Amino acid sequence: MRSPVLRFCPVCQKRPLVLHKFLPKRRFGTMLYCVRLGRIKIFILATANHNAQPIIILIVETNMIRTALFIFLSLLITSQSFAFGEKVKRPKARDFGNVVINNYSEENKEFAVVFPHWLHRAKYSCRLCHVDIGFAMHAGDTDITEQDNNAGLFCGTCHNNKIAFGSVVNSKFHGKINQCDRCHSQGQNVTFKNSFREFRNTMPRERFGNGIDWMTAEEQGKIKLIDFLEEVSFPRKQMERQADFKLVATIEQMPKIIFSHEKHAKWNGCETCHPEIFPVKKGSQPYTMQQIFDGQFCGACHDKVAFPNIDCQRCHFDSVH
Amino acid sequence: MGKIATKSTQVLLGLLGIIITVFPCEAYFNLPPLPTADKYGDVVMDQCATAQGQKAVVFSHWSHRTRFSCRVCHFELDFAFVAGQSDINEEDMLDGDFCGACHDGSQAFGVTKQNCEKCHTGNDIDRSKQFAQLQDKLWKLPQGQYGNNINWTLAQQQGLIDPKYSMFRPQEKPLAFAKALVLDAEWSWVSPAVFNHDTHTPWLDCANCHPSIFNIKKKTTKHFRMVYILEKKFCGVCHFAVSLPIDDCSACHPDMRKH
Repeated sequence: MRSPVLRFCPVCQKRPLVLHKFLPKRRFGTMLYCVRLGRIKIFILATANHNAQPIIILIVETNMIRTALFIFLSLLITSQSFAFGEKVKRPKARDFGNVVINNYSEENKEFAVVFPHWLHRAKYSCRLCHVDIGFAMHAGDTDITEQDNNAGLFCGTCHNNKIAFGSVVNSKFHGKINQCDRCHSQGQNVTFKNSFREFRNTMPRERFGNGIDWMTAEEQGKIKLIDFLEEVSFPRKQMERQADFKLVATIEQMPKIIFSHEKHAKWNGCETCHPEIFPVKKGSQPYTMQQIFDGQFCGACHDKVAFPNIDCQRCHFDSVH
Repeated sequence: MGKIATKSTQVLLGLLGIIITVFPCEAYFNLPPLPTADKYGDVVMDQCATAQGQKAVVFSHWSHRTRFSCRVCHFELDFAFVAGQSDINEEDMLDGDFCGACHDGSQAFGVTKQNCEKCHTGNDIDRSKQFAQLQDKLWKLPQGQYGNNINWTLAQQQGLIDPKYSMFRPQEKPLAFAKALVLDAEWSWVSPAVFNHDTHTPWLDCANCHPSIFNIKKKTTKHFRMVYILEKKFCGVCHFAVSLPIDDCSACHPDMRKH
């Protein structure tokens, strides 16, 4: 029996016993890996969501019974060998919000890009990149190519040697200098120009995420976020902001959530959330905390870049008493 | 013939695999002997100390839990629940992470050369005299039967100790979430376990347990069985080394006779 999945995997037949990216499914950062051990193929479906267990599928090319047996055993392995009932280790403050972009890097023998959110959010609002420039909200969804960047799209909007460093710098003395490793740095020991520690020590402290209270930092004038780029953004009038409103939790005794449009719209505008993540009509799309933990609704930003979902009482703070 | 033989061997191997994985041995219930009351909850932290010519840090949980709830260190300061997993180094502490959040010279003694020995004590430290003070005239904490021999929950409820709930937001208070869960045991002759949220919330944050240890939707947590608790999973994350040890069956299964 030849599994229909195998025809997608011409690479692994050439490179046995090597774990390599096989079929990147870009939604939700899901990756399918394939290892070949003689006749057995092991497919590992891993998701970027740290709470989800990876799924292992073993497939043998020829024998039906063996295939069935291996699938059964692989289910047992999946249920036994992966972490459950344990605490998940949080990322370190300096790594929180880092996104690995690897659409074409490794295929083209470059290291993957590690994008530090902390460095960019200290200078620009969220909506400038995620609305005006058009970056997706999931790692790898934007499908950035080198040609895009060279044409002044995505990263290339700023990283063009005018606003920020570009991929190649023309130096008077040294000629052309490649700066690829400033972004293509995954797993590499690169000393960056901006030190996270030094930056954080100048900012008001907060307990989670990057350990920085970004909102207070802006209020105190320690960061000034740019929200408008010539030729990219279009001028618009600020809308009058809706007052804070309460969202009722479905579990009894759970405090209500107070949602502030003012705090969110300042950095995100309207388009980051509406109408794709949240429909505009209030109450038309009920959602649960579990969905938020799984990266939907509020979880599209919170836990990945904005303060994590573990900070329960930052949203659930209106007591029922 | 050869083919059949390989098939049957494989089936046998598969069955063996099932037996090994599905029926973990009952030797699990041979719990390890408990340390003495003053040593219960001690954690040896030696990620880089010995390698750099320092003695290991022996951290006594009882010395901190009279003043701080579990939540301050394990939630706000991100100390891991397994010794050695936090990846602490001196640089972190001087930057105000981990121990350095309080041990900065103003709230508690700082990370200076004179103070090294206060924490880097080495494995053979004896703190029994300081521990004895918890139950004498100074603190008068109520007696317990296991672990530190102190009933910490009662001490907190009676107001004998007032562990700090948050070091970042003084206005934050425990959620008034008093839901009690009755969890049926897997074995028919074991009485159900009763879980009270309100004995846990003064010490812990929701996010200490949810959603990484226990799912938030009832009955959706996979593999929540006693054998895994005995492997230091689920309740065993805390109730093995620091909070009331698992030896006290009737604390969770209230209808069970004390042995």
